[in-house]
Amino acid sequence: MSRRASLWVGWIFATLVAVGVVLTWMTVGGDRKVLLAGEMTDAHHQIELACESCHAAPVFASAAAAKKALNKACRNCHEDELKDGDDSHPRKSFRNPRMAAYWEKLDARFCTSCHEEHRPEITLTGAVTVAADFCVACHSEGEQDVRKNRPSHAGLTFETCASAGCHNYHDNTALYADFLVDHADQPWLVPDPVHVLSARQRSQEPASEATLERADAMAPPDALNEQATLDHWAGSGHAAAGVNCAACHAPEVEAGAPLSDIEAAWVSAPPRTVCRDCHKVEARTFALGRHGMRQHPEVSGPRDATGSAVGDVLPEAIMAWLSDAPHPAHMTVREARVPMRGAAADQSLDCGTCHQPHAVDTKRAAVEACTSCHDDLHSRAYVGSPHHALWLAEVSGDAAAGTGVSCATCHMFKAKRRGRIVTSHNQNDGLRPNEKMIRPVCLDCHGLGFAIDALADDDLVAGNFRGRPTNHVESIEWAVRHAASADRDEDR
Amino acid sequence: MLTFTEQLVLLLNDEDGAPLPIRHDVAACALTGAVLLDLAFDYRIDTDLDALVVHDPTPTGHPVLDRLLVRIADGSEALDTRTWIEVLSAEEGTAIRDETQANLVERGVLTVRKSRIPWVRSRRYPSRDGKTATEIRAEIANVLGSDEIPDPRDVALVSLLDACEILPEIFPRQEMDDVRPRIAQLRKMELIGREVAGAIADIERLVIQAVRARAAQFQRLLLVLSSVGCVAALAILLAPSVPVGEQFGANFLVDLWFDNVWRQWSGYVLLGLSGAALLAVLLMMVRPIVRLGGYNWWRLAHVVLGIGALLAVFVHTGFRLGTHLNAALMVCFLAALIFGGLAGICSNAAGPLRRMGVSPQMRTIPMRLHILALCPLPALLIVHVLVVYLY
Repeated sequence: MSRRASLWVGWIFATLVAVGVVLTWMTVGGDRKVLLAGEMTDAHHQIELACESCHAAPVFASAAAAKKALNKACRNCHEDELKDGDDSHPRKSFRNPRMAAYWEKLDARFCTSCHEEHRPEITLTGAVTVAADFCVACHSEGEQDVRKNRPSHAGLTFETCASAGCHNYHDNTALYADFLVDHADQPWLVPDPVHVLSARQRSQEPASEATLERADAMAPPDALNEQATLDHWAGSGHAAAGVNCAACHAPEVEAGAPLSDIEAAWVSAPPRTVCRDCHKVEARTFALGRHGMRQHPEVSGPRDATGSAVGDVLPEAIMAWLSDAPHPAHMTVREARVPMRGAAADQSLDCGTCHQPHAVDTKRAAVEACTSCHDDLHSRAYVGSPHHALWLAEVSGDAAAGTGVSCATCHMFKAKRRGRIVTSHNQNDGLRPNEKMIRPVCLDCHGLGFAIDALADDDLVAGNFRGRPTNHVESIEWAVRHAASADRDEDR
Repeated sequence: MLTFTEQLVLLLNDEDGAPLPIRHDVAACALTGAVLLDLAFDYRIDTDLDALVVHDPTPTGHPVLDRLLVRIADGSEALDTRTWIEVLSAEEGTAIRDETQANLVERGVLTVRKSRIPWVRSRRYPSRDGKTATEIRAEIANVLGSDEIPDPRDVALVSLLDACEILPEIFPRQEMDDVRPRIAQLRKMELIGREVAGAIADIERLVIQAVRARAAQFQRLLLVLSSVGCVAALAILLAPSVPVGEQFGANFLVDLWFDNVWRQWSGYVLLGLSGAALLAVLLMMVRPIVRLGGYNWWRLAHVVLGIGALLAVFVHTGFRLGTHLNAALMVCFLAALIFGGLAGICSNAAGPLRRMGVSPQMRTIPMRLHILALCPLPALLIVHVLVVYLY
């Protein structure tokens, strides 16, 4: 064979091999990072290699089927959040054929109409990939023309709709007209400001008969010799609630089992899954936020190449090479896209990161755990802020429970579930847009007008609310005027 | 003994007697020059400052030479040599070739082979004994391969063949690189000036100038297009992406660069243009096809399609290089275009580059890199398309 022919043959062979390898990565298993078509949004970058979480359609599915599966994947993770947020534009409203005229303008039946992944250049805050004035699509003509419906909006342009303090597409729990009118004329600070649910949670005393003392600890002798650990446990909520060592270190052993059984089943470093057995709500909500989203049940795991069609054909070594690497179970601080402390870069995020396993000190978890990693302006400004001063007063016992404002107070909502106050561990729930925290947090202490103004003031947020808002959002005044005008029309 | 004109006609055909892919006007100019050189070597014509004059109207015995000698002698006004070359090239080029081939057939040097394909009226003129053209090529190879002082006729023929770019058809690329210094040496020998009348030197110089001027038209065009392509590809690689605007609604740029349907269309146009550019090169290796227009037209087609692909890249990406595999694809593609443009510059500005001291080996580097950058493209393109459809 001539040199030229050899080169042609070699090139064709190399091309086929390269295509074959990548095709196998796509359909069977292997590292697919090189195939990413664009940088992922901050919301999903942690799960960028769990492709099937979103691309759930079978290989070579039609475009329509792929789109349908993609949008279903969005709802699998975000539907509950939208329901909780009292979605202003629910999907079901747009599925009505009556709304067909709007589908051409902006098809709100599909999440991907506004939120496309792998489009970093056109991705705005909230992973929105349509222009900021997208409201113009439906609200600029006909019955929905806000400039006619609301005289106050006559001179406004559509890129200002989603300005802080005005409107959000999905979550408007604190921004709809009736709520604004009902909370007009509130003072900036209510008398006796206290975060009610925090106060009630902190005042919840465990049943005294269940409380365990240091001497009640049941553990192998070696473990009992760790005095500091034992002291931590004895002062923890676990001991107060009657949770003995075996509950975590020998979870398979039934309560009341003899020490010999506990010793036999003892695990020195129990997996974090034992936390989930008791703290179900906390574990579930942890997986909804960015701290724990890799543990979300809808996030796909690595593909098992051995179970594929070629699994029985190819040698084991090749199958091992083709298999997906295990997806990391936890987010690490290094991977965060917000400013973080360099010293914490290798820290991975699970229960023990914020909660010391034995001390279970929620006060530490509420502030120090956050500030030990986060290094953005808002976090750095917290120490020394008015909210921090209140927190220190509460922690020291100088102020009543619930009067302090920790990081967790604002970013980890509390809710009453089945008679018990639980803490949501989805720390993103009140962010993007930050008006989501007005009702569950801010209004316990502040008036609505002040809260809207404060959250709309980026500098004030960055400075962790040292001072007063410099701009005023006129939402409440407009809503009051509109209500008065509507009342007058009704009277006529 | 064969005349210049006869030798050139033989060399303008390949071994099968089919015409080489030499531009028609270049071949016509070279044949006119060969006729004038024949007449000059036979002391029939001479040149002075203002005109080409007939020195001796006696027929030479060669029908083509004699017909043109009569035409020059009967000229109503005195024209200078350059003008005669222009006039005769335009009006007699085809006739010189046809008549010379017919004459060689008559003399038994060539045979005629008509096309066997119905309605196709092409003719080939293969050598009857298979020797004559081969001997001429061997003689040229001998002149170029030795250090001996050659016959002035051989020097004139080599210069003419070089000007017409027929030599690369006779010698493989590697051998051409080897004989280039010898060709340059022959040009400097001024044998003609010493041993024969100055008219021959004038005619040869003017013919070569005219031939080069015709070839240079194409070269200039290819040089400009190659340079444009090279700079444009570099700009795409270095320029920031074109912003798409921030208005909702009929935003053409957003549709163009972010809508999947638009991107599919622009992608397939890009694929088509790239494939066509590649096809143009592959077809240049198929002699029967390249005869349709000659090498230069296929080279032009390749360059124009390359520039079209460059525009399609812009339409497809808007200067966005992408990430990961897409970035690799984009870099390879642009590298292929940049080095392709540089190869075009090296090929079409060979003279100036030679004078600047750029060696032939160095001039081939862009072409090698062009090919190297093209190698991974099919695999990257297939994967790119697969990713789009599988995810």
